Amino acid sequence: MFDVWKNVLEELKKTISSEKFNTFFQKTSLISIDDGEIKIGVPNIFMQANIKKSFDKNIREALEHNNIEVKTTEYVIAEANKVKKKSREVVSIEDIKPHKSRTYISNSPAKSIETGLSKDYTFENFVVGTNNDLAVYSAKTVIDDPGGKRNPFFLYGKSGVGKTHLIQAIGNELLKKNPNLKILYTPISHFYSDFIAAIRSKNPDSWKTKYENLDVLIIDDFQLISGKDKSQVEFFNLFNDMYLSKRQVIVASDRLPEEIKDVDVRLAGRLTQNGAFDIQLPGYEEKCAILQAKAEYEGKEIEQKAIEYIAENVKTNIRDLNAEYEKLIALSELRGMTPLEIINSGFSKPSVSSTRRNTTAKKIIDKTAKYYEMSTDTMLSKSRVAHIKNARQVAMYLLQNELHLSTTRTASELGMKDHTTVMNGVKRINTEMKLNFKLREDINILREKIYE
Amino acid sequence: MEITVDQSKLAKALAIVSKVATSSRTTLPILSNVLIKVLNGKVTLTTTNLDMAVVDYLPTSSSKNGEITVPARLLADFVANLPKGEVKISVKETKITTTSGKYKSTMNGTSASDFPELPELNEKEAVIYKIPVDDFKDGMSSVKIAASNDTTRPSFTGVFFNTDSENLYIAATDGYRLAERKLISGISSEVKAIVPASTITEVLSSISDDVEEVEILFDESQVCFRMGEIEITSRYIDGSFPDYRKLIPNSETTAESIELILKRDEILRVTKLAALFAKEVGGSIVLETSASKSALLVSSVANEYGENVSEIETSVDKDMKVVLNSRYLLDAINALSSDEMKLSMFGGLMPVKIEDAKDTNYVHIVMPLKG
Repeated sequence: MFDVWKNVLEELKKTISSEKFNTFFQKTSLISIDDGEIKIGVPNIFMQANIKKSFDKNIREALEHNNIEVKTTEYVIAEANKVKKKSREVVSIEDIKPHKSRTYISNSPAKSIETGLSKDYTFENFVVGTNNDLAVYSAKTVIDDPGGKRNPFFLYGKSGVGKTHLIQAIGNELLKKNPNLKILYTPISHFYSDFIAAIRSKNPDSWKTKYENLDVLIIDDFQLISGKDKSQVEFFNLFNDMYLSKRQVIVASDRLPEEIKDVDVRLAGRLTQNGAFDIQLPGYEEKCAILQAKAEYEGKEIEQKAIEYIAENVKTNIRDLNAEYEKLIALSELRGMTPLEIINSGFSKPSVSSTRRNTTAKKIIDKTAKYYEMSTDTMLSKSRVAHIKNARQVAMYLLQNELHLSTTRTASELGMKDHTTVMNGVKRINTEMKLNFKLREDINILREKIYE
Repeated sequence: MEITVDQSKLAKALAIVSKVATSSRTTLPILSNVLIKVLNGKVTLTTTNLDMAVVDYLPTSSSKNGEITVPARLLADFVANLPKGEVKISVKETKITTTSGKYKSTMNGTSASDFPELPELNEKEAVIYKIPVDDFKDGMSSVKIAASNDTTRPSFTGVFFNTDSENLYIAATDGYRLAERKLISGISSEVKAIVPASTITEVLSSISDDVEEVEILFDESQVCFRMGEIEITSRYIDGSFPDYRKLIPNSETTAESIELILKRDEILRVTKLAALFAKEVGGSIVLETSASKSALLVSSVANEYGENVSEIETSVDKDMKVVLNSRYLLDAINALSSDEMKLSMFGGLMPVKIEDAKDTNYVHIVMPLKG
């Protein structure tokens, strides 16, 4: 269909002077002809103004002579891709892709001042995996029934695993469903500083205006409340107030409330009364999926091999994973090479901070035994006492998940003959972890310790 | 239409606007003309090459509306050679007569209706920044050098304006090196736009001494630079710019790094020396730190002519080696202005970072060559 434009241009050549034609039509293209609504691509705004003013009539006529019905014409800025053709022929249409102008201006910053939510955090670009599926599922129940049975919603997990993304996604989704909701997302530190500022000012209650009458309150980095007694009391009051009037409170923290120093037991209990949901570090497959989704979302091209390379090499958290990916993409755009070529050329090395994680089977076994306060020998004995057996199974789990050892290899590292024992042990831990906070926390702490 | 204006002011204005009118795109003859226009008392001179437009507001007024175009270069040269004093321009139909005392010329103009339409800036929606002229000049000229001439990668032929939550930055790259500068702080709007480097060149050469600040207005499809009575409007380059900040290495995220504080003229001299020998090998020179010698060694080898090595004494506790293109290193050093500079190395395959020793607003990185 786009050969039509060639014919149109040929005809235009006859009706307007060659100077004008060469000046204005060299980089034009026909983008679409939807039922007579014609879109024509022009290289820049100067051309746009002039083509529209001087040649619209000629173009309409030429189109009609080529049997194209014309109702409206629209001239959009879409630079035809440069083609290395020597002839003065107009660029062939196949080479032209209209693309959205990447220029962007805005008189307000990306983050909404009113809600504190950043529009970049959505469910669409949040990758669900076994490390976070339960948390995401519960988050969605909050959206279906805000202030309902998942009120308060408490989310915890290590830094950089996507807590902020998930809780802001809840906020954005709620807002999408009901734009009239009054939602506020704030790190607890801002709550604290609002409170302090109000105390210092003449009107100690002035901070309340920001927090009163909210339908949804989203608090991030809750662990930082530790030691801020006064604001804790105020937060407790606010929380109670909202809870009793069935308004949704969402809290994210890097650990469970009872593990935060100096948090009131009653507050801690209230916050997790409807359960606490955690996000774990993503495994290899999840990391690949996250990168894949990110690349698709941004429309970047990256080879599967390059994704695997990043996923293998970044062992810390999603934040580092993203940073590594972004660095690679930027470098590839800069050098005009594909991401995999960049990796193979050696120009990209993952940052130290994201890879400085080495551990051995021996270290995992020793640290696990130490953490559960028993000797390595005791742990590795064949004892069927529950807590010893539990420690042993945790060690199995870690050997498999952190070092990616085979079941047989794991068995031999633990001095066991039967690899099915390992399979059963790891399976039990996997199931148990979904239900048991304590076990999950133990494993999280150990995950840190074995790399020390 | 009749205008009376001071010769030196008119000459200056014509000199600036005629640069754009005489640029290479001559397919449409009227593009080499200047549009002289009187509208509601205001007198303007306008030229365009359809990538950008220059408008100069003349410091005079005239009561009768009217417009005409004449060959810009011819008028500029004629006025430039007139003696000091008043110049009178009068137009009858398409003939334009320029008089100054006993000197008089009549040129054949072209009707203004053939002059290209210039798009209007959407000033209401535009994002506006005001930048002190010295910051603007320093910033633009030190960043622009990193831009490319290669039109097959259009976004590299421009200067990328971008913002974070409080600062406005400009950056440019040709794929082998990259320069970035923070222009102003304390902003509350967002911009992401690539402005052709050629526009920036034109803007820089149009700033006269009495200008104190440059106002930049971005609307959706064009950018406008206002400096005194001159206004340059330009298209954007349609394309995406790499997320370059990820590429600037720093000592926290890199396994090994060395920071050297060097005297700028000293490193400039040794780089120039090494560059002489490096011509044979595409400009590649070797920077090598030696902990045992407490020195930075800069060397180059030209198989045919011989070789060169220079030593700069400096405190360094690690050995590291990186191969660079001497031209890029020279450009980077020349872009700095203070006496001391900081050169950071992060290993043989990582970019070298060049900054002022104290001023942290400007960063220049040069990609390594494979040694």
